[in-house]
Amino acid sequence: MSNSNLFLKSGFVRAPLQNGVGRYVCQLQRIVLKFCKSHGGSRGMRDFIEQDLVDFARDNPSVVVYLKPRRHRSPVVVAEYLNGDRVWMSMQNKTQSEITKWIENMRTQQGDLSAVRLRKYQYTDHPSIQGPWTPFTFKNPELNVAKLPNPKFGANDRLPMSATEQLRIMFEKQRISKEEVKEEKKEE
Amino acid sequence: MVLGGILSRLFSQDVSPNVVKETKEVINTCNKLIEDRVSRNFAIVHLLGKQWRVTDGDLLVVEGHWPPNIGDQIRLDKVLLAATKDFSLIGRPLVQPGLVNVTATVISKGLSHTKTHFKKKRRKQYMKIHFQRLPQTMLRINNVEITNRINEAPKNVY
Repeated sequence: MSNSNLFLKSGFVRAPLQNGVGRYVCQLQRIVLKFCKSHGGSRGMRDFIEQDLVDFARDNPSVVVYLKPRRHRSPVVVAEYLNGDRVWMSMQNKTQSEITKWIENMRTQQGDLSAVRLRKYQYTDHPSIQGPWTPFTFKNPELNVAKLPNPKFGANDRLPMSATEQLRIMFEKQRISKEEVKEEKKEE
Repeated sequence: MVLGGILSRLFSQDVSPNVVKETKEVINTCNKLIEDRVSRNFAIVHLLGKQWRVTDGDLLVVEGHWPPNIGDQIRLDKVLLAATKDFSLIGRPLVQPGLVNVTATVISKGLSHTKTHFKKKRRKQYMKIHFQRLPQTMLRINNVEITNRINEAPKNVY
């Protein structure tokens, strides 16, 4: 079992600088691709640079792309965001398509999402618009002016019917039906 | 679409002239409230199997694979309820199309933190650990707007 969650920070949903209100700004600002020109671990990274990098840079003019060749070191991608987050990721032995997917993920996220556990999945400045519910909402305002104690409001009608009461009601019903039968006979 | 609360009950009963008059008055008042933009609107929208109460400027995080990409403006069409401070429009189940306009922008798409799913059965030599990272999409609600007048014939926008 993994204990990595013990030190995981928790947080709430936030967006930097009111992003998305009025305009949208891509949060990825800078991406650095570090790779080796000769080692096999950088193979996928070199393929990505040869085939996809120019398109990536053209499609995202707001993102600064750096290439950093270095000898006999494993390939790494570092992404930096507007909110100051820095995401470091090893690309050792990853294929070109895997690298494409991870870089797309880095481009679309705002900051380091994986570093926080979200406590809520919604954020609102206006938690209630029609007013929070209280026990008195949708109740008859008659109670406000009633003089207490009052048998109408104070009566305890929450208790279940007792056995004696049930018997009495059954008896009454029987008597009424008998009386009705008698009256009908008289009319005949 | 009906007006919520007491009025919806009145529609099902036999309609006397007084009731009709009162209904029209209520509808006119609501229309005036919409025009004057007296208070903030909110809506309950159905999105990826969940119901969200949204109002202008809200942030939502929906989990799971979802095609919209960052920067996309989308309209949330499944509106179950739209309301202002003073009245609510309750759909059955949805508010009529074109009456309420809920727009949102996709802000961010990424993967959540690594969640651990630990399964164990005691005394059965069974133990599994699954690690997963769910795709998370963050939405900003741009506006919740009641566009039409209430009780107007529906414009079939679909």
